[in-house]
Amino acid sequence: MAGELIRMEHIEKSFPGVKALDDVRFELRAGEVHALVGENGAGKSTLMKVLTGVYPKDKGTIYMNGQELTIKGVRDAQEAGIVMIHQELNLMNHLSAAENIFIGREFKKSGNLFLDKAKQNKEAKALFEKLNVDIDPTVRVGELTVAKQQMVEIAKAISFDFKVLIMDEPTAALTDNEIEDLFRVIRMLKAEGRSVIHISHRLEELQDIADRITVMRDGAYVDTKNIEDVTVDQIIKMMVGREIFVTKQKDFEDVNAPVTLEVKNLNAGRMVQDVSFKARAGEILGFAGLVGAGRTETMRAIFGADRYESGEIIIKGKAVKITSPKVAVENGIAYLSEDRKQYGLALGLDIDQNISMADMRSFINVFGIINKKKSMENSEQQRNALQIKTPSLKQKVKNLSGGNQQKVVLAKWLTRNTDILVFDEPTRGIDIGAKNEIYKLMNELADQGKTIIVISSELPEIIRTCHRVIVMCEGRITGEVTKEEIDQDVIMGYATRRLA
Amino acid sequence: MKKKILAAILMAAMVLSAVGCGGGASEEAAAPEAGNAETAETGDTASNDNYIAMVSLGFGHQFWQAVKQGAEEAAAEAGYRITFEGPETETMVDKQVDMLKTALQNNPKAVCMAAIDTESVATILQEAKAEGIPVVGFDAGVGEEESDSKCSTDNLAAGAMAAEHAAELLGEKGKVAVIGHSQTTIDAVQRVDGFIEKIGEYPDIEIVDVQYGEGDQLKSAEIAKSMMTANPDIDLIYTSNEGACVGAYNGLKEGNLIGEVLLIGFDSSAALKQAIRDGEIAGAITQDPIGMGRKTIEIAIKLINGEEVESYYDTGCRWYDATNMDDEDIAPLLYD
Amino acid sequence: MKSILKSREASHKLIIVCAFILIFGFFSVMNPSYASYSNIMTILLATCVNGILALGVSFPVITGGIDISVGTVMTFSCVMSGTAFTVWGWNIWIAILFGFFVGALCGAINGFAITKMYLPPFIATMAMQMITKGLSLVVSGIKPVYFSECSFYQKIATGEFLGIPGFYNAIIILIVVAVICYILFSHTLLGRYTLAIGSNQEATRLSGINVDKWKIIIYALSGLLAGVAGLVMSSRLNSAQPSLGTGYETEAIAAAVIGGNSLSGGEGSIVGTIIGALIISSLTNGLRIMAVPTELQSAIVGLVLALAVFLDQAKKMKAGR
Repeated sequence: MAGELIRMEHIEKSFPGVKALDDVRFELRAGEVHALVGENGAGKSTLMKVLTGVYPKDKGTIYMNGQELTIKGVRDAQEAGIVMIHQELNLMNHLSAAENIFIGREFKKSGNLFLDKAKQNKEAKALFEKLNVDIDPTVRVGELTVAKQQMVEIAKAISFDFKVLIMDEPTAALTDNEIEDLFRVIRMLKAEGRSVIHISHRLEELQDIADRITVMRDGAYVDTKNIEDVTVDQIIKMMVGREIFVTKQKDFEDVNAPVTLEVKNLNAGRMVQDVSFKARAGEILGFAGLVGAGRTETMRAIFGADRYESGEIIIKGKAVKITSPKVAVENGIAYLSEDRKQYGLALGLDIDQNISMADMRSFINVFGIINKKKSMENSEQQRNALQIKTPSLKQKVKNLSGGNQQKVVLAKWLTRNTDILVFDEPTRGIDIGAKNEIYKLMNELADQGKTIIVISSELPEIIRTCHRVIVMCEGRITGEVTKEEIDQDVIMGYATRRLA
Repeated sequence: MKKKILAAILMAAMVLSAVGCGGGASEEAAAPEAGNAETAETGDTASNDNYIAMVSLGFGHQFWQAVKQGAEEAAAEAGYRITFEGPETETMVDKQVDMLKTALQNNPKAVCMAAIDTESVATILQEAKAEGIPVVGFDAGVGEEESDSKCSTDNLAAGAMAAEHAAELLGEKGKVAVIGHSQTTIDAVQRVDGFIEKIGEYPDIEIVDVQYGEGDQLKSAEIAKSMMTANPDIDLIYTSNEGACVGAYNGLKEGNLIGEVLLIGFDSSAALKQAIRDGEIAGAITQDPIGMGRKTIEIAIKLINGEEVESYYDTGCRWYDATNMDDEDIAPLLYD
Repeated sequence: MKSILKSREASHKLIIVCAFILIFGFFSVMNPSYASYSNIMTILLATCVNGILALGVSFPVITGGIDISVGTVMTFSCVMSGTAFTVWGWNIWIAILFGFFVGALCGAINGFAITKMYLPPFIATMAMQMITKGLSLVVSGIKPVYFSECSFYQKIATGEFLGIPGFYNAIIILIVVAVICYILFSHTLLGRYTLAIGSNQEATRLSGINVDKWKIIIYALSGLLAGVAGLVMSSRLNSAQPSLGTGYETEAIAAAVIGGNSLSGGEGSIVGTIIGALIISSLTNGLRIMAVPTELQSAIVGLVLALAVFLDQAKKMKAGR
């Protein structure tokens, strides 16, 4: 193992009212892949932003190759060879891949007046060939998949000849194949002697790619270990600081429970073809499959968020033509989107306003005046029931953690009191403690007789929470797995089975 | 899709119904297009044999409508067809340039022009002249180099005339404020300059404030009131066009200041005439816009026919007040 | 006090109230007659037209849209009401209500074009601006429409309320409209959905709310208030001036923005809008009283606009860290 490349010592950073980093240390060796994990709010991103010069540190020292390194801004970090690929990629969708890579450093023709696009494209192509990825340098970045956009970012980083590459949750939006490809590239970079810091919530994948792991908790450093010396459970314990309570759902046996939602031969574009299923009161029904299997599209069509072309939707025995989310909600369907920031919450509004949004009509009097007291009472009740952690219901939702945001979305729908709740990736971007609370809530709701539908790409989540699982692939239902059969391999078998 | 069609129908219905009631409101406004160009048809549209293009520096104001009326009358008598165009606001230089260019595309026999900005149209007009198209300037903005002849009010003289009457009303002693309507058009500037210059000849009259309200009635009203707040002892306010005058009048009325300060104005309109008749506005200078329109077309036709014309015609201006506004020589110069 | 300071919107309100007091204090010192009762009434009266327009435009602005048609819709609605009164011989009050209806209809068509024909708000309302401008000229025959046959028309705005000297009815109209807007915005579904749409339109739709319907209502409200502004304006001038109207939308949007309504939507305040309108009119009035050259007046108002938004942004940046 090569020697130490970067050492951060006694790093402190405060924001108004919060100590985000408290005496943190971190050490990175040349040519290693170093996983950095911790719950949301543990300080991982802040630490990396200090390293890349986005935030100035309050205290502490950064060394590179044993020499003290002054990082006053992003530029200093770049010159030292430290680059970061953020979770939200920093690409200009309307420019080509090559233009994105060389933005600000464009090649010019002699005379320095005109851009030398040919050379730019050639250089970009060389970078892609080196990474062994198939991307046309002239294609507009917006037309690429997320995985390929990531490769463009990596190519850009290589063009800077970086020493340290920091990747913030690079695998969150990728399919398994794409993740494999990304890991192949990471291993190649490592073989060249470069270091990669890998921030991830997916602890299972770290065994494959990381050499060492550093755990953070509540703005403080916990420990650094060789990856082969720890198990996933041990990592979780370090992250959470306590044993994790793993929920075990009650079995759902009541096949006589009334069918609340029945879908017959639903078709909506390429992604939803001939989908039929039934869900019962008190049941937690899982939808498994690979990313892009059409699960979200199916649910969006049922919810009226997108139009469907044909098919029948029967809610509690009554056929309903769902033309808009309004109709769906009025018929008792709620949809908790996978992207709660974009589709679930009005981030700039406060908690109370968000919770009451779907059911405003119960909070107005005959003159149309909002009874704010009544709405606050309801929000207070939801806050206690769901344990939303916030100093005030007047807090803007954007200031909440992912888990609490998800609870606000859930509170919104519980206020509306719909009988069918569709959870699309309910725990994405949520830390482990909060995940368990969400699972517990889903169980409670099912016990109350509500129908819960869960879409998840995390198989362990599906296996742990669902009574029955429907598996989709390429817009079609390819299998149904009952409680007794639920098993990772069976589901994966269906998920990859293509119907001709 | 149904809804889209519905929306389109709604819009169309609105346009049509409004056009319909337009006919009721005014005989002149029968032109169905909602633009600001109207054509007085006296010949075949396709033929440009007897076509004269007029590009004005304004359109919406009654003054320009009066010029248009005079021009149309003169054109109809001589068997000519004219177009009369002008930008909505008297500051849209570029729009006016486009209008002139478009007008020239239609091969007019002559071009009559009142320019917002002399420089912006000088080259185009000179080219037209070089091609043998007669150019007649009217009202303002066109110099001798670009035109064969010009018909306008001598605004310096008009401003001076207003000053003389102001001095008479004040007994050659007192404080005066000015509300102008533009700092950029020559005629507006000259009306204020002519006034101030002439007032300078009276040692006991002092000009305390000069402000500009873009001819917007509401703005001019606010200006009049704030002037009176700042200098309660102002004896007379001079305003340089109809909008400024009626605006100031309304402002003074709101402040219960009518009678405490004299107001004199410029141009004519129904409201302005009524206030003068009631003695609430002391008097005003009127130009002869109908005569100006008429004269402009007459000169243009003379030029088309190759006749000799003079390089400048003063179309005149008159002072009117409650005592003389119904006189035979004044009444025709006043318009609504 | 502490909780007031905490909220960003509240602190912006504090900034603009201070700005307003500063402007008022400055001019009062420079010229004592500025702070006289009659001049204060003059300032309030001068706030009416722009204030009502600004209140109307605040709603589309808070949804993240814009309405640049308010100035000419104002003109068009009073031209229509004048035509109904003078040409068609309608009862004056019905003619006035007709004017409001025309304004609301124009607004509703804006909303329709935006939601059902997918036009961007700027384009849809720009089209409406041009349409109403043209129609005003056509309907009126490019002449002012006089209300002189109605003896009290001018008194609707400039009459003295309860006989209090200098206290014009228009000021009461502004106050009533402001209070109604405040209630609509802070205490009804309309206001809540306006905010929600501005904050996240898609999330609002997915909460089962008929976003299209509400947007049409919001734009209709903006048009309706333009109609009310048209009443005040035409009453003050005792005539509907068909060629007026352009430029008024800029001033109304400026008032809304100074008042802390974000053009990207999701935040706003009715009180802020009123203070914004007051800032503009008291500033303009003060500059006129000090006889500042007209050309400089506009530049100074522009500077204040930039400063107000800058202070807001600076706070936001600080809060973001």
